[in-house]
Amino acid sequence: MANWVPLWLHKLGSPPIFYRFAGIVRPWALTLAILAAAVALYGGLVLAPADYQQGDAYRIIFIHVPSAWMSLFIYGAMAVAAFVGLVWRIKIAEIVAMESAPIGAAFTFITLVTGSLWGKPMWGTWWTWDARLTSELVLLFLYIGVIGLYHSFEDRRQGARAASFLVLIGIVNVPIVHFSVNWWYTLHQGSTVRLVGPSRIDASMLWPLLTMMAATKLYYVASLFARVRAELIASEGGKEWVRAIALGEDARS
Amino acid sequence: MTPGSTCAACVALFRRDLLLAWRRRGDIAMPVLYAVIVTTLFPFALGPDAALLSRIAGGVVLVTVLLAMLLSLDSLFRSDVEDGSLEQWMLAPQSLPLLLGAKLLAHWITSAVPLIVIAPVLASMLRFPTAAMPVLVAALLLATPLLSLLGGVLVALTAGSRRSGMLLALMLLPLCVPVVIFAAGAVAAAQDGLPFAAPIAWLGAALALALVLGPLACAAALRIAMDA
Amino acid sequence: MSHFFAMGGYAFYVWTSFAVFFVVLLIDALAPIARRRRHLRQLRSRMARSEARRRPGTTA
Repeated sequence: MANWVPLWLHKLGSPPIFYRFAGIVRPWALTLAILAAAVALYGGLVLAPADYQQGDAYRIIFIHVPSAWMSLFIYGAMAVAAFVGLVWRIKIAEIVAMESAPIGAAFTFITLVTGSLWGKPMWGTWWTWDARLTSELVLLFLYIGVIGLYHSFEDRRQGARAASFLVLIGIVNVPIVHFSVNWWYTLHQGSTVRLVGPSRIDASMLWPLLTMMAATKLYYVASLFARVRAELIASEGGKEWVRAIALGEDARS
Repeated sequence: MTPGSTCAACVALFRRDLLLAWRRRGDIAMPVLYAVIVTTLFPFALGPDAALLSRIAGGVVLVTVLLAMLLSLDSLFRSDVEDGSLEQWMLAPQSLPLLLGAKLLAHWITSAVPLIVIAPVLASMLRFPTAAMPVLVAALLLATPLLSLLGGVLVALTAGSRRSGMLLALMLLPLCVPVVIFAAGAVAAAQDGLPFAAPIAWLGAALALALVLGPLACAAALRIAMDA
Repeated sequence: MSHFFAMGGYAFYVWTSFAVFFVVLLIDALAPIARRRRHLRQLRSRMARSEARRRPGTTA
């Protein structure tokens, strides 16, 4: 059967091959991400009509919701990489997990800030202790904790393994936080604030949203690969293939 | 020489930790003193209004106890890392999770029990209603071992690293949010005369789960963090 | 055109959100490129140093 898939994955675990593969994929992903974002922004800011309830303020949805989705998606991707890295001790998987964390933290930060900026005109407050908002804040703390733990170790691989374990603890924690805040909020207050007002969304607003989601996904791939390449140069500095790259780039510049 | 049984090793470790704590009695008093100072400052900051104080008393006591525990958690494995006994336990034929369980139990007794004893005094200083006091103590009895176990896993993760301190607080915050919510929820419900069994039961369920998984996770984290 | 930038009175909220989005992601995109350059530069100088150490005594 398809014997090449495991073989290809196995090869990808080798740092020089991953470095070259990432170098080929990265410009394409970045270009496509910028194109998709431009199309989505044109659709969202110009073509889509104003919402009959929220006016033009709803247009924040086109960055807020994709960022929120990415903050969870990247955590999931990071957890899978962390698990693979811990169980099979694959160096590339550890690096992918650790380099995902800053991107995830960036998207979580964007989600929180744009959410506040959207909440102020709509609900009249910058912040409310709603389950979703609190979970997002806890997620940001988890990301920062993972980054902090990773950098607190002298030995980078040891730090990556300890932080990977923290990632796996966190993935159990986030649903528990969401549930407990939900329980707590309903105890204190009758109704929860709905983050996304209308459950049904018009097609003219839906397609820019989905395009933006695709753009953020592609951006994640591009940013992750750039980070993994930089980290590989740093951690494999003594190896022959990295020296060849260093000399090659020197000759070109 | 045949190795002793796991049970004997656990008892020996437990007694050693209690003895060490007893030799340094001043260190046990530190978290208690810290909790007293923090709760005394609240009335000065908020004014002596009895209604306001009694409304926030439960939450203030819970958060203070949590922070005081954090203070002592930081040094949970420090001396054992420094004098090499931690490596000895990891190499020992006895099961590491059970040894760590004994160590966490000793830590809970030396750091959390004094805080639980002092908590009713602190709460009544803040005009906490006496009728709800048993619920506060029950919530603390369930929440503090939970925090010890969760904190133990995180301290184990930072055992091989250079600095912890603030990092430990940062990592513990996401994990202790549910604990604080349920403990404070039970206390607030008891204060308002509402049924408080549900949050107490949730805390108990979480504690039962943590009692089983905590030492295992702690051992796994220690093996990862100390793996050179 | 000014109607477009006014965003129905929500200009501050909408444009600040988009600015935050693009500024944060721009920083995120530029950081690894700078890091890679820095590491390569350090590596080159390290290699040059070890090369210089070896050269004076050609017999070694």
